[in-house]
Amino acid sequence: MEIGHGGKELKERVIYDKEEAKKKIKGLKEVPVRRQIATEVISIAYGFFSPLEGFMKKADVESTVKNMTLADGTVWTIPIVFDMSDKEIADFGIKVGDTVLLTRNNNPLATFEVEDIFTYDKQEWSQSVYGTTEAKHPGVKRTNEYKDKFLGGKLTLVNPPKFNPPFDAYWHTPLMHRAKFKEKGWKRIVNHQTRNVPHTGHEWLMKHAWMATHAELSMEETEGGKAITGILVNAIIGEKRPGDYVDQAIILSQDALRTYGYFRDDLHMTTFTLWDMRYAGPKEAIHHAIIRTNLGLTHHMFGRDHAGVGTYYHSYAAHRIFDTIPKEKLRITPIFVLEWLFCPHCGEVTCIAFCGHKKEQQQFSGTLIRGILMDGVKPTRLIFRPEIFDIVMDCAEKYGFGSPFVTPEYLEKGTPAFRIDPL
Amino acid sequence: MAETYPINVWINEDRFEKLKSAGLGDMPREVLAGMKVLAVPTTDVQRDKVLKLFSMAKYDAATTKSIEQLPKHVKDKIFDLVVARKKIDVMEEFLSKFEQAGDAFWSQQIA
Repeated sequence: MEIGHGGKELKERVIYDKEEAKKKIKGLKEVPVRRQIATEVISIAYGFFSPLEGFMKKADVESTVKNMTLADGTVWTIPIVFDMSDKEIADFGIKVGDTVLLTRNNNPLATFEVEDIFTYDKQEWSQSVYGTTEAKHPGVKRTNEYKDKFLGGKLTLVNPPKFNPPFDAYWHTPLMHRAKFKEKGWKRIVNHQTRNVPHTGHEWLMKHAWMATHAELSMEETEGGKAITGILVNAIIGEKRPGDYVDQAIILSQDALRTYGYFRDDLHMTTFTLWDMRYAGPKEAIHHAIIRTNLGLTHHMFGRDHAGVGTYYHSYAAHRIFDTIPKEKLRITPIFVLEWLFCPHCGEVTCIAFCGHKKEQQQFSGTLIRGILMDGVKPTRLIFRPEIFDIVMDCAEKYGFGSPFVTPEYLEKGTPAFRIDPL
Repeated sequence: MAETYPINVWINEDRFEKLKSAGLGDMPREVLAGMKVLAVPTTDVQRDKVLKLFSMAKYDAATTKSIEQLPKHVKDKIFDLVVARKKIDVMEEFLSKFEQAGDAFWSQQIA
């Protein structure tokens, strides 16, 4: 038995047998869902959000907002909800006690047992989860855009998604992650959360986190070429905004750090989780910790401004929130890391904890790196690996309609990570 | 002197040679691990016009105080103009030429 977040059994709610699935959905009302809901259905069904077995009922939303826990006391920070308007509920004739078939692109996706239909104060929700009710905050905006009613209840995935290349090679469910970690013989695994292509500052964050995670464990295995502590780069693949890196570039460039030997094959692995960032800063840090607990990780790296946006959160708010949660409530250890930068005096990438040449330090500004890539100028290998640059440029041509960054064309015509085929 | 808002054009070896030939070899500054950048200034009026004409562009008021996310072909053209005119104050001419020619500007040779 695999144990996930909250000490609960990690269970999949997926029917793999097509005939069984067809029988299960026969005669059910069909309700089409948008991309966000489809990805959350998939994440719930495979256990990424364990112990959730479906969309939240009112008691869980209320407890999440008011207490930072589910109704049963399990730590939880972000409501996971299914929204509908009154008109849609009436048009589909949905009532509590019904089971409906959720569809995506006209194909069956999951059954949904409607156990609760409710409203919730979005202002209270936003203030608690995001620390603001300002409509320009992307999480608040998403919350405000939810329709006025929420439906809660259990889900069962009846038609597993098919992942399009190159995502297919990197898709691992929580149980698949755990099996892979066992196969690799990893005793400890630290997560690197990312939505970026890596520069050398990111590499050092991962190295820092690996060392902190490995800590007192024996070194002989690592010296012998079979590491017992691993780094999982678990990229977030979800809603994109213009200017973000294209998803394919993120996945392929992160994995290239391993394939080109910047990280050894035995201690580095890249996968992804489907999730639309809420930019909830500290609350989202806890959500990320929950997801990675379910993937079977033992440690999670958190840097400055984790999952933040604008100036809504203190740079280390995502660190300090862990002080407020009893350690036994989370089955994962946070690893807090400081900023890494380039110092021309030291002649290397170094950490603000070590380097005393404050006036000479050159920070890895995301804006600067984006500008360099946008101009197609190959950066010095001290800050950006040449192979990574080539992959990013290749992805721009292959997937990004000429740009490594999301454009309106990519949003409209880009290949999505997954599709739902006919059952 | 009025405040200006730079467009950062990143300089590789090829571009650096062209700048040196134009007598502008001392214009780029080193920003990150030897990476050179040429800051092409815009006035506040020019900045607003750039942001309006190229909707993907953004003004990074928080960190770099520069105009970012301009497409490569736009910055290539700005760079070509800098080299041709042997000066970095080229945005007035750039905007005027683009407003006159529209997308045909990208394939025009700079006289």
